[in-house]
Amino acid sequence: MRNSLSALILLVGIVLPVSLSAADKKAALPADHAQRMQLGLDLFKKEVRPLLVEKCLKCHGGKSVKGDFDLSSRKKLLDSSMIEKTGKESYLMALVEHREEPFMPLKEKKLSEKEIASLSKWIDLGAPYDKDLATSGKSASEKLVITDDDRKFWSFQPLSSPSVPKAKDSSWAQNEIDSFVLAKQTEKGLTPNEQVSKRVYIRRAYFDLIGLPPAPAEVEAFLADNSPDAYESLIDRLLASPHYGERWARHWLDIARFAESHGFEHDYDRNFAYHYRDFVIKALNQDMPYDQFIKWQLAGDEIAPDKPLALMATGFLGAGVFPTQITANEVERTRYDALDDMLNTTGLAMLGLSVGCARCHDHKFDPIASDDYYRMLSTFTTTVRTEIELDLDPEKYKQEKSKFDLAHAPLVKALQDFETQQIKPDFENWLKQGKIDTAQLDEWIVPDVVSHTSKGKALFEKLEDGSVLVSGPNINQDQFTFTLRTNVRPIRAIRLETLTHRSLPKQGPGRAVNGNFSLTAFKVTAKSIADKKGAAQEVKLTNARATHEQNQTTLSANSAIDGQYGSGWAVDLGGIGKDQAIVFDLETPLDQAGETELTVTMSFTNNVNHSIGHPRFSVSNSSSPAIKTGAGSPEQLSQALQLVEEGAWDKLTDAQKQILERRYREQDPKWVALSDKVNQHLKTEPQRALTKVMICSEGPDIKPVRHHTQGKDFFDETYYLTRGDTEQKGAVANQSFLQVLMRSPQQEKTWIEAPPKTATTSYRRSSLANWITDTQQGAGALAARVIANRIWQHHIGTGIVNTPNDFGLQGERPTHPELLDYLANQLIQHEWHLKPLHKQIMLSATYRQSTDFHPDQSKIDPENKLYWRHSPQRLEGEVIRDSILLIGNRLDTTMYGPGTLQDDSLRRSIYFKIKRSQLIPMMQLFDAPEALVSIGQRSSTTIAPQALLFMNAEFIRESAKSFAKNIYQAHPTSLEKAVTDAYQTVLGRVPSASEAAISLAFIQQHQKSYESEKKPEATLLALTDFTHALLSTNEFIYPN
Amino acid sequence: MLQPFSELPSISLNQLLARRQLLKHAGSGIGALGLLSLLQQEGVLETAHAAPSLQAINPLAPKPTHFPAKAKSVIWLFINGGPSHVDTWDYKPELEKRDGVALEGFDNKTGFFQNAVGPLMKSPFKFKQHGESGKWVSEIFPNLSQHVDKMAFIHSGHTESNNHSPALFMMNCGIPKMGYPCVGSWVTYGLGSESNSLPAFVVMSDPLGRGLPKGQSLNWGAGFLPSVYQGTYLKPSGEPIDNLQPPSVLTEKGRQRSQLDLLKSLNRQHLQQNEGDQELAARIESFELAYRMQSAAPEALDISQEPKHLQEQYGVGNKKCEHFAKQCLIARRMVERGTRFVQIYSGGMENQRSWDGHSDIKGNHSGFAEETDQPIAALLADLESRGLLNETLVIWGGEFGRLPIAQKGATPGRDHNPHAFTTWLAGGGVKAGTTYGATDEIGFKAAEDKVHVNDLHATILRLLGMDHEKLTYLYSGRRFRLTDVGGHVIDKIIA
Repeated sequence: MRNSLSALILLVGIVLPVSLSAADKKAALPADHAQRMQLGLDLFKKEVRPLLVEKCLKCHGGKSVKGDFDLSSRKKLLDSSMIEKTGKESYLMALVEHREEPFMPLKEKKLSEKEIASLSKWIDLGAPYDKDLATSGKSASEKLVITDDDRKFWSFQPLSSPSVPKAKDSSWAQNEIDSFVLAKQTEKGLTPNEQVSKRVYIRRAYFDLIGLPPAPAEVEAFLADNSPDAYESLIDRLLASPHYGERWARHWLDIARFAESHGFEHDYDRNFAYHYRDFVIKALNQDMPYDQFIKWQLAGDEIAPDKPLALMATGFLGAGVFPTQITANEVERTRYDALDDMLNTTGLAMLGLSVGCARCHDHKFDPIASDDYYRMLSTFTTTVRTEIELDLDPEKYKQEKSKFDLAHAPLVKALQDFETQQIKPDFENWLKQGKIDTAQLDEWIVPDVVSHTSKGKALFEKLEDGSVLVSGPNINQDQFTFTLRTNVRPIRAIRLETLTHRSLPKQGPGRAVNGNFSLTAFKVTAKSIADKKGAAQEVKLTNARATHEQNQTTLSANSAIDGQYGSGWAVDLGGIGKDQAIVFDLETPLDQAGETELTVTMSFTNNVNHSIGHPRFSVSNSSSPAIKTGAGSPEQLSQALQLVEEGAWDKLTDAQKQILERRYREQDPKWVALSDKVNQHLKTEPQRALTKVMICSEGPDIKPVRHHTQGKDFFDETYYLTRGDTEQKGAVANQSFLQVLMRSPQQEKTWIEAPPKTATTSYRRSSLANWITDTQQGAGALAARVIANRIWQHHIGTGIVNTPNDFGLQGERPTHPELLDYLANQLIQHEWHLKPLHKQIMLSATYRQSTDFHPDQSKIDPENKLYWRHSPQRLEGEVIRDSILLIGNRLDTTMYGPGTLQDDSLRRSIYFKIKRSQLIPMMQLFDAPEALVSIGQRSSTTIAPQALLFMNAEFIRESAKSFAKNIYQAHPTSLEKAVTDAYQTVLGRVPSASEAAISLAFIQQHQKSYESEKKPEATLLALTDFTHALLSTNEFIYPN
Repeated sequence: MLQPFSELPSISLNQLLARRQLLKHAGSGIGALGLLSLLQQEGVLETAHAAPSLQAINPLAPKPTHFPAKAKSVIWLFINGGPSHVDTWDYKPELEKRDGVALEGFDNKTGFFQNAVGPLMKSPFKFKQHGESGKWVSEIFPNLSQHVDKMAFIHSGHTESNNHSPALFMMNCGIPKMGYPCVGSWVTYGLGSESNSLPAFVVMSDPLGRGLPKGQSLNWGAGFLPSVYQGTYLKPSGEPIDNLQPPSVLTEKGRQRSQLDLLKSLNRQHLQQNEGDQELAARIESFELAYRMQSAAPEALDISQEPKHLQEQYGVGNKKCEHFAKQCLIARRMVERGTRFVQIYSGGMENQRSWDGHSDIKGNHSGFAEETDQPIAALLADLESRGLLNETLVIWGGEFGRLPIAQKGATPGRDHNPHAFTTWLAGGGVKAGTTYGATDEIGFKAAEDKVHVNDLHATILRLLGMDHEKLTYLYSGRRFRLTDVGGHVIDKIIA
């Protein structure tokens, strides 16, 4: 346990020797091999190297590789077939001795006799190199070639199927895990600790799985359960608790460097990034198979685009930092940084490999070539952050909708039947009779809408009543344009109705989440249809007045025509969910012959997403028409009525006939009744509950999140870069994966998935996901090992590989490689479900051991690498805080949704918003990571500011107080009982006699002290001082 | 104020657990003897039994240096926003000659505003020579100019970004990206703390509501280092440090002391059952440290304890510079009490809120100089008179310089210049009265003995006794350094 931090500190200043490379393990060499190599090396250093560098390298592995011959490394020279066992037999010597053409060095002076002799002798000695010939760094010859030897490193191997060791004494073991552990211990002469009491076990299990302590009653129930499966059912119950996901998601969020702001200069919020956190909690709670869990994080938008969780999962890629102010010089480098962040985090989180090290050069330690890096990097070339609107619970909508449809159909049918059987024939009769009452015409005439556009690609649908319903994209600042045609003359006023509709938030009339809108500017131009050459003239509007105004100043009716960018007509504070209208007078009445075309432009820019959801326009020739909603007459009505009156009903157009029929049926009480039923019921139609979600995706339909960038943010190709420098581009890098994690070279085609014809994304991320989870040929075996190790680490305290984010050559080797493969195999056999793995580990005797310390055992295994005891862990900051709130009976268990920066929030700590420049101080004090890079293992420090928090922080004092109140109320006459109760709640046990005595004495003394000061509630204050101390004890935050 | 001892009588069944018991179990695990050191500090154990592995428990325990250290602590006056070297310390008579002449071949992507490129512009300030070193200094530093013989100037600094936040990260963390440990974190990681009751690394920002430097708290973040090494930010308003103030009922009658005694007693019984576990012992000790901090930190921040004349020397009482004067005084008090690293930001965010003189370079720079000139001069003098200057490294500098050409506008300013800037160091083992490196004749680019930010960092670490190539931290499979893959110590400015 406690060695993690100290070990890191001790590393300062110590340079570890580089591990043996696989190439050093060669078989069957001549006896004098070493001696000959030494002679050869000396010769190489003194004479051959300078010769090769000066005369040959430029064309053969330096700046270029001519004739397919590269001598920059020994391996390449040996592979070239230019040399044989002796110089004499070598083709190379034939060329430099000018025995064969082309004479070398080409078009240069022949080498001297001495040089030729040295070269030949060196070949005789085995042509040893001390190191590769230094080159400029860009040459193909320097490229790292991944060999089968590299693939022999333990973590790159396929999973083995180790047989379970047979233990001599199996009375200790609970399951197969223990056999592996015991076998190693026996080798070293260690014996494991005995099992802890059930009282200790339940506490350990609670903190481990749900991050909260058991209530005293839960402890008692477990103690009383004598059935053989008591432990198993306890674990099952905890794994089924929704708190399990909240506890374990935190571990993954550390790994995913998850935060909800951009970082850098402005640290802008990512207000919709919390969905990724919710995804992780939900996925864990539903025991999503781990392979699916990681695949969705890489490519959920491609793999399951109709599943909200899959889209939320892609937040993984976009969780890293990103600058919001980028100068022209930095744009490209910044984009490569962003790609690097995605790739590097993927590598660390899913494979425990630091792929990012290969950005500037081949990885110094791991067999990861720089080329591999760029080819893998190209996976994310077109991947961007975006915000979409998503129905998080489509199933619920589907069910409710089908229920509604079922109930709705008969109402519609009744109406339709009445229309066809009754209205239609009556209407035809009425037409022929030609009895017209022209007073039916309203002073507001609704012109035809001939066209409409939206800057933000909102969708428009013309409804029967002349209104237009808006749906689809709702960008921050949209602008709508409508073209209308009317014969009304003169036009003295224009009316805009903003109508409600069931599809709008809160029924509208606006599209903002609260149903509001804000009409920043309303502008009209007019032109005569007859006058084809005439240009549109601006129509000056005045005297704006509305049915409702949110205020008299910046949100008034006049704000729509005041020319101000920062004001607009809005209708909240009494106007939501109701039809509204605004009327404008024309400064000069518009009176022109024939038809007039009006173009109305409405912009919604003084607030975000505040466009109108359901507009209808009308015009009037009255000099002071009423400010009201509804009852406008359609443009074509008066003409249609005239035709009917003239008996010329056969000249009616279909549209005119329809308008007339609508008018007719609206006067039939029975039709009105039936229609009302339909409309009333329609109001109950379920709507998709849309929520904004930040995801990562690609393609033409995706609008990337961008801020202040000078120039283009995104690029279509990823190039090989030299030393990571965007000024030194090589060729375009085509997608591939780590060669060392393919069973055979250049196998990438196995995983690369061509996008389906209808796809708008590249499917490169799906391809990566295929490779990462392929346990047979790809990286899946390593992925399984890495996650099995993480699960083990969080239960046992240290991983089998103690560097959970580094399974490479620099990382530590597994202490129990067979056990790790066994666990990885178990995981795969359980179809990647994590819960069975938790259970198996937690039921093992290894997990159940006591923390008892034995000096003799410690001498053999001081760091407890072989698990002879349970290493106690300090609770994380989140668990400490949540548990204290729970004990104070103050924990708010609301799950999911936006987080908060308020550190007096009473929700679980995982629901704190993670803003990079404003991290929650308490979490920082207890070693929560800064969410900048992937962290697989937190440090566990003990510093004075933590103690200050326990002593003085308000939330601890408050919790201590409400906790004291509870126990006091429960035991108003017995402080002894209150003390016992407090111990049971905080520490899960009764106090010892001495603890009880000292606690009681303390409480009485403080009680007296408060009483002497005449403080009210002296007993409660004294009890609070005591519970406050109890919550601060070591035993509480270091459960055994 | 807190009472050091409780008025309430001490209650304890077995006061302390037996020392023998502890010693018996102390052989466990690596660094187990750390407990002994802690108890020894507390006076519970005599020295003879201690072993030098304090760091095994306390990550802030003092650590040995690679070389004998010249400086023990650092006060970094961060001239935020990018001070113009040609208007402050880097005198360029050639600019007067070529004032108004276009700069041929200028790449308009050099600064931030590509469309506001003006001609060469002379400094609006007069320069005069000062001190024995004869340093030319701008008239905006009437006080600091009296101290040039204490300073070592580096005129040839250059950096990797022309944009505030990457350049700030570069200057603070050695790489123009976010997420890396800053100099203060590296230093406290490498050296530990000299104080056990004050934070090791303290940061102060503009208290006049002009915001934080761009990139905000990430400028003093610990990156991948354990978070214990991050800077402690002294909040400009309200309680400067969290949780320093106990609940009021506990401060009376020494109740908190009595409560801590109960806690200690319970914890020691628990420790006894847990075989003298060192981390548990460390946590017991941390409450004692915290209790001391409760009084030590407010004491260190309380500048009213300084004599009036000294306060006045710093500029307390002078509205123009009082805020910065107080911060400089606090910095001295903290360094004096063992704080390792103090960073003070002059100015807030960008444009007129900091030294970011895009428009009106004259008004901008004379204003900010007025805020800082007297306090910094007083700080140097005060440190010297107390004999603290030779062990305290004072650094003056920003994230980049400014261009010798004008940024067009009603009142011309200067745009960002990543190619040249001036930093000066004083005290802490630097060679006083020296100048290192030079820019070209117009101050556009560093020309002689160029100093990369990594070189500056390497030099700072060297003055503190550390080898920048050996101060490493293994993260993500790589040994990271403050100086990344670069860094050369500037030996010529080291005394």
